[in-house]
Amino acid sequence: MRVLITGMGGELGTRVTNLLEADPTFTEIVGIDGYPPRRRISRVSFHRIEPSDRRRTVHLVREVDPHVVLHLGVYEPNAHFDPTPARLGTRAAAVSVLGAAASCPSLEAIVVRSGIEVYGRSRGGPTRPDESAAVRPTTPWGASLAHVEQVAAEAGQLAGVPVTVVRCGPVVGPSFPSPLGRYLRLPAVAVAPVLELPFSLLHQEDAAQALLAAAHARHDGPLNVVGPGAVTASQAVRRGGRVPVPVLGPGWWFASAAAQLLGAPLPPHTRELLVRGGVADGTEATSVLGVAPRDTDDVITQLYQWGDVARVATSVPGGSR
Amino acid sequence: MNFAEVTAGLPGVGTAARLGRRARGAFDVDEWGLDPELVALVDPALSLRWDIDVVGAEQLPAVGGAVLVFNRRVGVSEPWVLARGVRLATGRFVRTVGVPDVAPVGPVLRRFGGVLDRTDEIAGLLRAGQLVGLPMARSLRGRLQAGALEVERLQAAIATGSPVVPVALHGREVGRSWRVVLGDAIRPGTGGPLDAVELADATRQAVQDLLDDAVPASWWH
Repeated sequence: MRVLITGMGGELGTRVTNLLEADPTFTEIVGIDGYPPRRRISRVSFHRIEPSDRRRTVHLVREVDPHVVLHLGVYEPNAHFDPTPARLGTRAAAVSVLGAAASCPSLEAIVVRSGIEVYGRSRGGPTRPDESAAVRPTTPWGASLAHVEQVAAEAGQLAGVPVTVVRCGPVVGPSFPSPLGRYLRLPAVAVAPVLELPFSLLHQEDAAQALLAAAHARHDGPLNVVGPGAVTASQAVRRGGRVPVPVLGPGWWFASAAAQLLGAPLPPHTRELLVRGGVADGTEATSVLGVAPRDTDDVITQLYQWGDVARVATSVPGGSR
Repeated sequence: MNFAEVTAGLPGVGTAARLGRRARGAFDVDEWGLDPELVALVDPALSLRWDIDVVGAEQLPAVGGAVLVFNRRVGVSEPWVLARGVRLATGRFVRTVGVPDVAPVGPVLRRFGGVLDRTDEIAGLLRAGQLVGLPMARSLRGRLQAGALEVERLQAAIATGSPVVPVALHGREVGRSWRVVLGDAIRPGTGGPLDAVELADATRQAVQDLLDDAVPASWWH
């Protein structure tokens, strides 16, 4: 089976690629990203193409004519890239790759990495949405992911193939570039102890396993993949031996500015997560994909044991890093 | 004999240990925000406010979800009385529907088991095996009058096949003594168009019967 994987240069993309290489079902693996993979790859044909280069991307996708497209080319704001380039890169990659894939005659399935941020955290909205909940993003990152889902759905409909949308909880892991992971590891962390609601996390390895399983599943529709359990921000901070700094209202502006100076910018979706919480019902993914993500408690414990979390490098998708 | 064994029986040691765990963040909060250890910490204060007698706790499943439909008059004490009564009788937490999603009231009440008034929220809790406390409309005219019941909320019980348990709460808002009476569990139908309406009617009648049974017979003779 021929598989095309986008976003291969990222931490998650590289790990998924390694898992695909170890799976004999995938006889031919082709990868695209604006920068090279993080680890050694053995039997992958990698193409360094910037997300904004639509002409080359479309040409390559049509030439490969994949059976499965694994679209991981979504860029979280302030993970690797500044918010605007991240948003534009995410949008461009989705349109180019999925648009071209829709016209590939061999296409059998599309798998897209999304996030539970698509549900949004509007007032009165569901606390722990399942896959039937409406998509109502309340942050730019959630809106970006919702757009990717929409493009994928249109491409799947055009090609007549199932589209598995893997809505991951906030992904953290050793050396995984996550604004949340960076922020929580600051020595003193602004929190809203009385106002905050709990959130769930997903370990990067569990996210990779879920995406691999989704490439096999041929499931048509979204699946929430989150670690069971939840923690509040102030609870996590105290577990990590950091100093929680209670903040209210405009105090968040100063907290964000201070965090930015310390190299841990606080994008709107991370701030929303810290205050309004972010959990989802992952029961269906467990039964469809057969994955059992590790507990959020364990992920938080490990977050404070990892030597370092990748520092932010301000650049654009595909630019030199 | 170690230090923990020596201090085990001393008053306040358990509370001090809990406070220590909270300072380290070493406690659990569930996905809807319930903080069982915080509930345990404030329980002594709750015991001063309400003295609760529970009848029929065996009607509740030991595991798995159920909807507890309860009457209320003013509606301030009732959710606390039901939650504490059931917790003392069975060890299970009740997630009371109707918390406003407004800070700081909402997040604080969620720590004690409150959840939003949404059908999908109730269905999610039932799928997770939780007990959900569903209040009837306020009935200010009389203490022994069961209020209206929102039919749509019972769709969650039908969708998940969870039993509905009628609960009558007797007590005065300013009083300390309360009685919680749980009736026979009602099994929802298979999801026909009339199921929710009939389930709501049957549940409301069951709560009213429990309230009527609470009135001493001498009142009528």
